[in-house]
Amino acid sequence: MKEAFVMVGFLEITLVIFMQWQVYLKKIVTTFSLSSYAISIFLFVDGAVLNNTNLLVLSALTAAVRGFFIPSFIRKKFRKEDYLEREIKSVVPTAMSVVLSLFFVVVGYIVYHATLYNSVGLPGGSIPIALLFQGIFLIMSRNNAFVQLIGYMVMENSLFLFGGYLFPELPLVIEGGILLDLNSSGSNRNSYDFRHYYET
Amino acid sequence: MFLYYLPLIVTVLAAAICFVANDKISKISTLASASVSIIFSLYIWVLNNVSTQFLYIDAISKIMLVTISIIYLTTAIFSGSYFKHISKPLLKKNLYWAFLNLFVLSMFFSVMVNNLGLIWIGIEATTITSALLVAIDNNFASIEASWRYIIIVSVGLVISLVGIIFIYDQTHTLNIAVMLKNHVSESRIILIGSAMAIVGFGTKAGIFPMHTWLPDVHGRSIAPVSAIFSSVLLPSALFGIIRISQIIPFEDIKQFMFILGILTILFASIFMINQKYYKRMFAYSSMENMGMILIGVSLGKAGLLGAMILLVSHAFAKSSVFYLTGNILSVYKTRKTAHVHSLVKNMPYTAYGLILSSLAVTGAPPFAVFIGEFFIISAVYRIYGFAYTIIILLALLTAFLSINYKVAKMSFSERNSTQKTKDEWVSALIPLINLTLSFCVLFAIPAINNILKGITG
Repeated sequence: MKEAFVMVGFLEITLVIFMQWQVYLKKIVTTFSLSSYAISIFLFVDGAVLNNTNLLVLSALTAAVRGFFIPSFIRKKFRKEDYLEREIKSVVPTAMSVVLSLFFVVVGYIVYHATLYNSVGLPGGSIPIALLFQGIFLIMSRNNAFVQLIGYMVMENSLFLFGGYLFPELPLVIEGGILLDLNSSGSNRNSYDFRHYYET
Repeated sequence: MFLYYLPLIVTVLAAAICFVANDKISKISTLASASVSIIFSLYIWVLNNVSTQFLYIDAISKIMLVTISIIYLTTAIFSGSYFKHISKPLLKKNLYWAFLNLFVLSMFFSVMVNNLGLIWIGIEATTITSALLVAIDNNFASIEASWRYIIIVSVGLVISLVGIIFIYDQTHTLNIAVMLKNHVSESRIILIGSAMAIVGFGTKAGIFPMHTWLPDVHGRSIAPVSAIFSSVLLPSALFGIIRISQIIPFEDIKQFMFILGILTILFASIFMINQKYYKRMFAYSSMENMGMILIGVSLGKAGLLGAMILLVSHAFAKSSVFYLTGNILSVYKTRKTAHVHSLVKNMPYTAYGLILSSLAVTGAPPFAVFIGEFFIISAVYRIYGFAYTIIILLALLTAFLSINYKVAKMSFSERNSTQKTKDEWVSALIPLINLTLSFCVLFAIPAINNILKGITG
């Protein structure tokens, strides 16, 4: 599974960088949905190999909430109100944001090797930490409430990858995941209200 | 053992009733649940500490339970009279009551459980249950504040969850009693994990540097919500940090908490000087008090005793302040300090209540906040010496002058534009009760000291 973990992790990092330079929200949402499905498939296979129910539940949660439900909700809102589709201004210029996003991958690598590497011993273990930083940066670098929400969910995905793969026996991971998803769903509703007020 | 679960059970029942009942029954069930919670919390205070698979109730949990339940009741009563000032609420009234009960339930849960992961879940649940309460005013500013609250606090809590995973990696358990018994050994991962957990929980507690949601939310949510946030939500999040400091009592972690506390009070006191909006000003005052509590917790012993006295007395005094700001906002229709004049003439009970409450939250004697701060500052002087003591004293003095000068100006400056208004008795009485309670904490100090003896030594 180590190779699969590194491959999925690499794919996730690439997809977040793609989201970072996109201005069309629909593409960002679709990319995020794809990235969630990739994590879900990985967790499912890992859960089946390890015979771990926690991972199977996490896989189902990831696919249902972050792969399907929240992206579908956001797309539905775009269909109704076209003006929400494109974000013209972002806090950090596009080229700089891509460079910074890559920089955070390096920071994640350094942090991981300085902390967890000796204990976990997995070379690709820095990927979820890098994703966590990229998620935070996506939130900070954009004004759009929906993109900020997606940044938060990127962090959530990284956490599932982190906790699910590196610490599959971690207690309460499912309960934590459900709460984070509830939070995302609440934020989703709130972000729509906020955008609605903001634009009208 | 069943008795310990009663505060949780009554709030669950009240929330369930509110979801299906009409406004009046919802209000009554909430008031009943809050009143019964106070009785149960006081009863738990006299019972022995308990440690089971699910519960870990020690002196700090007991102090938190009593404080939360009293603020729960006063907020419920005040909400009942304040609701008429909201023109187009985001939620139906029964749902407001339901979320208020669930919000309190998640705080009760956080301070009672015997698992660091469950504490995280409880604190995360407070975000879910309170986000809609923040936006209840249903206007752009309150929805924006709610949005910022969810995003910033959730990011902080994700950081704390990563920290907890780091801690788990080293301890192989999240059970608080087991971790306390086994004495966690020092390692780089445990230090980083603890620091991340402190920053994450600190986000919710309004601790620098991730405090930015706090002034917006306190400034824009309705008075009862600001009051319950400031008085018991922030301490409930600090409770997570208190548990970490108990489990991982290393010097590096204590110093980290101390530095964060100092930065928080410095930042808050500087921002108070130029603050143009009275609710935001009091939000920064909450930040400053949370910073002081964090410093007290980091110092232990007398510092911890001071922190607990400050926590309780600040909860009562600050809730009083926010209820009163609600009264002012409902009459003057402005959040700007400069636009509020002649309070003493127009709203005498509110004005005098606000003057006394402001003195209380800024640490003027004889209120218990002063005693709490005195214990903490004495401990700072003993452990860190003169320089840090002076820095803290200067920050406290700045906050004291900023707040009381502005409150005095709002109260005594003359202008004839606003008509004299009759204070509504419920809206005027509840803050005065809380203010009195804040003063009475002075007489409860021996009891707090006694109950904390096992922890402070």
